[in-house]
Amino acid sequence: MIVSELLLPVFVVLATLAVGAYLVGVIDGAIGAALGAPRGQSAWLAPLTQGAWLLTQQANTTEAPDWRAWRLAPALYLALAATGLAVVPWSPTLIPTDLTTSVVLWGSVEALATVVIFLHGWSANTLLALIGAYRYVALGLSYILISMFVLIGVALPAESLQFSQVVASQAEMWNVIRQPLGLPLFLIVGLGMTFWGPFNLADSRDLAGGTASAVSGPPRLVWNLARAAMLVAFSCVAASAFLGGWLGPWLPGPLWMVIKMLVVLAVLLLIGRLVPRVQPERCVTLMWVVLLPLSFIDLIWAGMEALL
Amino acid sequence: MDYPLTVDIAFLLLAILAVVSGWRVFCTDSMVRASFFLLLSFIAVGVIMILLAAEYLGVAMLFMMAVEMMVMATFMVMFMMNPAGLNPMMMVHQHKFSIAAGVVIFVLLAGVALLAEFPTNPLPADLDPVTSLGNELLGDSMLIFESAGIVLLTTMIGVVVLSSHRGRYGGAHEGSMPPGLVPGGDPAGMPKEDEEEGGGHHHCH
Repeated sequence: MIVSELLLPVFVVLATLAVGAYLVGVIDGAIGAALGAPRGQSAWLAPLTQGAWLLTQQANTTEAPDWRAWRLAPALYLALAATGLAVVPWSPTLIPTDLTTSVVLWGSVEALATVVIFLHGWSANTLLALIGAYRYVALGLSYILISMFVLIGVALPAESLQFSQVVASQAEMWNVIRQPLGLPLFLIVGLGMTFWGPFNLADSRDLAGGTASAVSGPPRLVWNLARAAMLVAFSCVAASAFLGGWLGPWLPGPLWMVIKMLVVLAVLLLIGRLVPRVQPERCVTLMWVVLLPLSFIDLIWAGMEALL
Repeated sequence: MDYPLTVDIAFLLLAILAVVSGWRVFCTDSMVRASFFLLLSFIAVGVIMILLAAEYLGVAMLFMMAVEMMVMATFMVMFMMNPAGLNPMMMVHQHKFSIAAGVVIFVLLAGVALLAEFPTNPLPADLDPVTSLGNELLGDSMLIFESAGIVLLTTMIGVVVLSSHRGRYGGAHEGSMPPGLVPGGDPAGMPKEDEEEGGGHHHCH
């Protein structure tokens, strides 16, 4: 009982966290090499080398930072990624935490991520990190709203706020076909929340690294790891909410889930490499004027379908 | 009641966390820290609510409070004289009144906890808290909740409109001027530019 209720869920979450974050590094490196980025060593070794290098570096200090918050923020972001992974169903039986409100819990992970990212930039007590932090707060609210409407959309046909029910409701048709706007919107939210690629506005180059501009050494390693893990958690949630999760012929459920998660991850990383960064002001306009109304349309669409 | 011992342990730890972080709100000297200590306290209470099988309310507490405290911290920093929120400032006012109010409320709540007769009838096994809460919110009580929500929203917008009329350093229409470091002195952080156009670049060559 202890094995199945305590050890197995913890193992599944930690394994996904570690292997997933490593695979983010590998796939991103491979995509970069395929697109012509300067090739150093093999894509399999590069993330490990970079991690080991960060681990041996000295942790930077700034003038009078809020030490506890500064050191805690990367760990908290990693913990949020783990919380998100804990509600992902891998098969009808293999679910780390089958909370009846797991979709709402994922929503609160997104909301708390805003707090943690702000704290990371704010507590460093340096200018560019602070700008990155406030920039993320300004954008984070729109990410949360879009994600909330899209996720209510997938909860409607399932008539449940539970991810396992959401997956089970896609037995006849996946939500990616049933609600065509949902997955693209959710992927944009995913890139925004992990500030990756075109939506990397909190840790962007124009802020010399933003919230992470003054972070080096092991804390930087944890921060990078947490961002990669959050991207993995997003891919897992997207695969469960829109691509039918464990559902699929021939192969066992968890394997289907891994395949779908890797496909979503590869698409996200490809977008991250191909699309240039959006200007912050334009990004706010894009979120509120274009994408938020689209998420309303998605929700109305889902509601009409649920009624018919 | 049949629940594991770990529930008791988790409750005790979360209750201590909620009380201690609530107390730290009043000891810290920064608005941002105070907001996030309050958030921590609310998160602990939210998890206690999940332990009490209020699965929707507990989880809703987490995301409501996360967004609320973030927005609150941003607004406090925007409207107060402490741009980054990292500078120390006095966070508590009206000591005597607040101590008296705190003691009275504590006595009242403790009295309720000790003297009230709590119902002991167990919940039906097939009760789905999320569904019953949804039926309550969007059924008979819909008018109350929706009107309360709209009143709160208009209040928030009204407060922002009223308070943003006055800028951080005086009337918004007069232009922002920081106060002097000494009474009646020059505006702080704004050196006098008595030369004509050119400003700071004048000294470069």
